[in-house]
Amino acid sequence: MMKKSLAILLSGTMLLSAAFMTGCGGGSSSAAGSSAAPEASAASEAPESSAAPESSAASEASDAGSTAPSGDVTVPEAAQASYEKLLAAEESLMTTDNHPMMAEGLSFDVPAVEGDAAALEELPEEDKNHWHYKEYLDWDQSADAQFPESPADGQEGKKVILIVHGAHAWTTCYTDAFKSACDAVGMTYEIYDPNWDQANQDSYVDQAINDQPDAIIVIPVSADHATQQFKKITDAGIPAFCSNTTPEADAMNFIISYTGPNDWYQMRTLADMLGESMEGKGGVAYITHNVGGSPYYARCYGPLTELAEKYPDIETLDIQSPGFEASEVKQVVADWITKFGDKLNAIVLADDSDQAIGAVEACQAAGRSDIKIVAAGISKQGLDLVKSGDLFGMSYQTCQGDAGLAVRTVSEWFCGIDIPRVNYLSTDIVTKDNAADFEPCQW
Amino acid sequence: MEKKNFKLNAAFINKNRSYLLLVLIMICGLFAKNFYTPYNIQAVTGNGSLVIWLGLGFTIVLIAGHMDMTVMYMSTFAALLTLGLHADQKLPWLVCVIIGALMGILNGLIMGLLVTKLKIHAFIASIGMQLVLRGVMYVYCNGKELSIGKDYTWNDMLNGKLIPFLPLSTYFLITTIFIFGVMVILRYTRLGRNIHMVGGNAETAWLAGIKSDMVVIAAFVISGLAAGLGGALNGIYSGAANVTMGEKGISPFYMAFTACVIGGTDIYGGKGSVIWTYVSLIMIAFLKALCKSTELQVLVIGAALVLCLVYETVAKYNRDKVLGRRPNLYIEYKNETGNAK
Repeated sequence: MMKKSLAILLSGTMLLSAAFMTGCGGGSSSAAGSSAAPEASAASEAPESSAAPESSAASEASDAGSTAPSGDVTVPEAAQASYEKLLAAEESLMTTDNHPMMAEGLSFDVPAVEGDAAALEELPEEDKNHWHYKEYLDWDQSADAQFPESPADGQEGKKVILIVHGAHAWTTCYTDAFKSACDAVGMTYEIYDPNWDQANQDSYVDQAINDQPDAIIVIPVSADHATQQFKKITDAGIPAFCSNTTPEADAMNFIISYTGPNDWYQMRTLADMLGESMEGKGGVAYITHNVGGSPYYARCYGPLTELAEKYPDIETLDIQSPGFEASEVKQVVADWITKFGDKLNAIVLADDSDQAIGAVEACQAAGRSDIKIVAAGISKQGLDLVKSGDLFGMSYQTCQGDAGLAVRTVSEWFCGIDIPRVNYLSTDIVTKDNAADFEPCQW
Repeated sequence: MEKKNFKLNAAFINKNRSYLLLVLIMICGLFAKNFYTPYNIQAVTGNGSLVIWLGLGFTIVLIAGHMDMTVMYMSTFAALLTLGLHADQKLPWLVCVIIGALMGILNGLIMGLLVTKLKIHAFIASIGMQLVLRGVMYVYCNGKELSIGKDYTWNDMLNGKLIPFLPLSTYFLITTIFIFGVMVILRYTRLGRNIHMVGGNAETAWLAGIKSDMVVIAAFVISGLAAGLGGALNGIYSGAANVTMGEKGISPFYMAFTACVIGGTDIYGGKGSVIWTYVSLIMIAFLKALCKSTELQVLVIGAALVLCLVYETVAKYNRDKVLGRRPNLYIEYKNETGNAK
């Protein structure tokens, strides 16, 4: 009797769950609807003048880069109405911390180097040129794939599929902003979340291709794997866009445009500030991002190479990848304090939330308030730690602006506008002095 | 000749649950958008192939009464080794794949020796070997991700169709051929029968003159070969590999384990079929495609695993209880439930 009941229960559960899944086959959210309305309305209420801090951030970043050319845009007749809607969205949408959500991207000059990626990787890891191809997306344009042509009829009514990397407070903030930006420009969307699993993301790429949307945007889980993913999408004749995390340079052969932070540049800027405050001497240890992804390289080897070049007396003590659990990070930092003692003067973190909490707690427990901690940001926990002085500084990387820039770039492509292959976000450094300019936090 | 009675009862459902669940999922697919497209079928089966290789090895060792939890790390190591040898030593893909498979055999051999000669419990030996493999991988690639670079020859071949009108990737077809090869070994050879016998009752097998140690080692070696070969091919198929593969989301190892249990392989050994596992894994692959949300995938697969485990445990308890009372009663009980032969 028991066996029969269980067998029937098993079959019934599977039937119900399968039927339920089929019923909501759309998976994640879809369609331009009302979900993001509060965001949009909040944005429209924001005063125009509040964009001032962003301007300063942009101007700072512009020291090294330049805004992508935007003047005298020629838009085909068929896309005119759509383009006007896009312009209206660019004007009205603001981030939670009162910066424009769909601001124009920046482009950076690529320095010339001799040798291919394999040759440069023979150089020591402290040498900037070792990472040249990871940092600058310096790909061989002659090997570009045959990209699909823009329909040049505007973004309105187009369907895009966004495949993010995994569940995180940042991702929630990004997807919410993505939805509001899509709603504002009239695009429909579907969002897949593989939960940081590479194999799952591969499956989602296949599912997205199978759904035949008008464009696919991917935030790759891993930089190397991205090449295969974007190749598949481009081979299927679907325009592929990469957002947030930079792929391997070779992947750019299959990507219409990359939009996102210039992680290397902002981490180098942070390292400059740190090196100066350390007066060019001492020991630094690094906690990395997830191994394999572009932030792993940028947020560890960006500051490391910068310090090695400008402050040769600063020593790299250790590099560890304990993940994003505060307790794990706390253990690593506590071990460092025991092992290195007074030689440990600064810590560079790839994350300003849980990693920062763990590192700060370890330093406080050991009574080492002299250790300077810097991190890539910008989360609420991070900003609170900066304001309290526990975090010496962090980079400003707008999450909502990241999503806005992706939507803007895809929309411009649908409008038939020539778009740069690489679009970077503007950036800034957050310290105790200017923390108020970045409140309230985006995530 | 004894007439077989067909009864649609709990025993029938239980015996054929992997097939029934696959049919159920495929019926649900009729109502899903773009489910029965050639691209989707090719992608779903291709992406699910790695887990089939892992499930195959896991099933054989489970039938032999042990547990090989190194399969996932072994497959990752084989993938890294294959990609690394091709990129750094410029070895042809075929040689790299063979080396990957040989490393799998070596791993299986070590596991087998640890379990049989040193009498270390397979669970403990697996954990130890997992750490060894993980360490070797970190040393080998220094935590970096390895990729196929710009050489897409084998990648395109494995992703492409072997038979033009059949929407199945070459990788999946190779996997299927291997599965059927192992099925033949298990069903029609002395080694296969011995694996079942050793897993069912090691003492009886020993009394029957079977060299139990050799049989267990062979099971581990086949498992290692499957993990090594499958991992090597998967590295090329997916284009890249890193040390942390399978540690996020739904672990391929847990999927393989779930499929073994759903398929009907006895977790206490002696009973099972690689075909059952194969069908279960295809079912899970399509199930994942049906529920696009990762959270839902985890929930459904987890619920199926728990229900199957509860069922197996209760069934074993009842069987032992009946057997313990009166042996003849067990035959009556089997007749009653329609599972008589």
